[in-house]
Amino acid sequence: MKIGIPRALLYYKNEKLWTTFFDELGVEYIISPETNKEIVNAGANLAIDETCLPTKILLGHIDWLKDKCDMVFLPRVATAHGYGMCTKFLAQTDLVSNTFREHKLKLVFYNIDKRGTKAEYKAFKKMGKFLGFKRSQIKFAFFTAKQAQLYYEMFRTQNQERILQESKKNKVLVLAHAYNIADAFIGEPIVRALKQLDCEPIIAEYCDAKTCIKASTEISKTLPWAYNKHLVGAVSLLKDKVDGIVILTTFPCGPDSMVNEMIMHKVKNVPILVLTMDAQDATAGIETRLESYVDIINFKKERENE
Amino acid sequence: MIKGYLGIDIGSISTKGVVIDNKNNILASEYLWTEGDPMGAVKRLLKVLEKQLKGKDVKIVSVGTTGSARKLIGVMTNASVVKNEITAHAIGTTTLHPDVNTIFEIGGQDSKIIIIENGFVVDYAMNTLCAAGTGSFLSSQAHRLGVPVEEFGKIALTSQHPTNIAARCTVFAESDLVHKAQIGHKKEDIIAGLCKAVVTNYINNIGKGKKIKAPIVFQGGVSKNVGVKKAFEDAVGCEVLVDPNGHLMGAFGVAVLARKSGIEKSFSFDVADMEFKTTGFECPKCANHCEIICVFKDNELIDSWGNKCDNGAVKINRRNNG
Repeated sequence: MKIGIPRALLYYKNEKLWTTFFDELGVEYIISPETNKEIVNAGANLAIDETCLPTKILLGHIDWLKDKCDMVFLPRVATAHGYGMCTKFLAQTDLVSNTFREHKLKLVFYNIDKRGTKAEYKAFKKMGKFLGFKRSQIKFAFFTAKQAQLYYEMFRTQNQERILQESKKNKVLVLAHAYNIADAFIGEPIVRALKQLDCEPIIAEYCDAKTCIKASTEISKTLPWAYNKHLVGAVSLLKDKVDGIVILTTFPCGPDSMVNEMIMHKVKNVPILVLTMDAQDATAGIETRLESYVDIINFKKERENE
Repeated sequence: MIKGYLGIDIGSISTKGVVIDNKNNILASEYLWTEGDPMGAVKRLLKVLEKQLKGKDVKIVSVGTTGSARKLIGVMTNASVVKNEITAHAIGTTTLHPDVNTIFEIGGQDSKIIIIENGFVVDYAMNTLCAAGTGSFLSSQAHRLGVPVEEFGKIALTSQHPTNIAARCTVFAESDLVHKAQIGHKKEDIIAGLCKAVVTNYINNIGKGKKIKAPIVFQGGVSKNVGVKKAFEDAVGCEVLVDPNGHLMGAFGVAVLARKSGIEKSFSFDVADMEFKTTGFECPKCANHCEIICVFKDNELIDSWGNKCDNGAVKINRRNNG
């Protein structure tokens, strides 16, 4: 039996957790390749117009996987860190099963619909049993996997903190969801362009989630979405340590459309640039915007030095 | 001999060129249509500029390019500075009007607002997805009404009661315009209404949430339209400056930047006689299908771009062109 893992959405939040869990259980799996134009186009053809770009990309990845594995792994997740999530994470399993119903696509998944720390373990236990493993095996695999994910994130956070302290370049905080910033089609070109413009991209997603969520109350006390809380918290923690903030959003994102406006209203004294990406790849527009934005940062520094 | 600095602004619709001396005086300038062929337009531009400089003993020591074809023309003219149009316009305008706080710009396909504090750019916004309310919108509507776009402004000023026209979207504006004409609105009222609609659209989209403070400079091709200028003044409630050289501001700005850069590179007007060619192809090496552009000078590859990864990098024979 071979499981297919789409490199989209929650993969970027749970990469080590998933792969270590399956490795420990000895389950064979295949991960779809980094997003490319073919995957985006395939996804866009399968999706209805109203879905967001990351969801279209998810469908593209599933389309790539559908003939290469026995089952596709796609969990249904309603909460994270005790807060709600965007509806696409609740809907993705059913959305995919419906979209590919003629293909008789088999899905394997876990459901996290309750808050609390035990919910995730319980969900994995249920999925492990479905795959035919014993309780002890599942328990060991889950906690090993949880460790792996934890250390991976900790290393990432520490590494970034070091860069933040040492770097002499213009530091630009890049605000984007995990599945956007790490995506080869959406976030990577932006990060690369910033580096080419001699800036140090600071990835909001790499900041510690719990610290950020706590800090987010400085900007908003009532924000409902866990992942947005994480990003907003990174803004309140780092806004005085960076030279600028780039908000990278995919079209059309419901939570971001509100949160971005709020950030722009509440955060002053730091130049903010909002970049909205959609399925067309118009890098020329992005280049012009980033270039002039970095000019603004440099002008501001020049003025402060005068 | 005077040292000259050449700035070229290659927009989607028009190509602008300015030669300045080291005191920012304009020695030569030209404005012509791009006609979808940026390299051809620049060749024509260079010929005109060369003619204007004849007998003045000016030597071009540095070239700057801006506008949507800046990269291509930068390679062609061996430019010292290749700069985005927002910075170029801001530099150009603040050089001539050091006290400016807001720049409105409406060009052929894009419109932008630049906010300046104490001579430094602090914020900007650009139209994102559509070209409603830009020069190309006005010229297509002028065509529909059978009026040359150059006379649009003058006709608009004669109107007493501008018609209300929805300008959020070009398609809707067009149907609204046809409807208003059919129910008997006068032509000058409709034209004035269009100018007003362009401004409303601009203030609501581009200027949304921005601090618009006087002095305001209005530039770009559409600034030549007095009707739009007046509509802007009515909307913001203060005078809006239009510089006689407003259409050249991007080229002027990038010439200033080329001068300030201190980088001097050899340049000769002979470029206008050389044969430049571009070819585009789709890279077959991975699933991204990048469109790669190669630039040839006298059949020799001098630059290429468009690849997202190293697989698509085109090797350039650096030995032959230093």
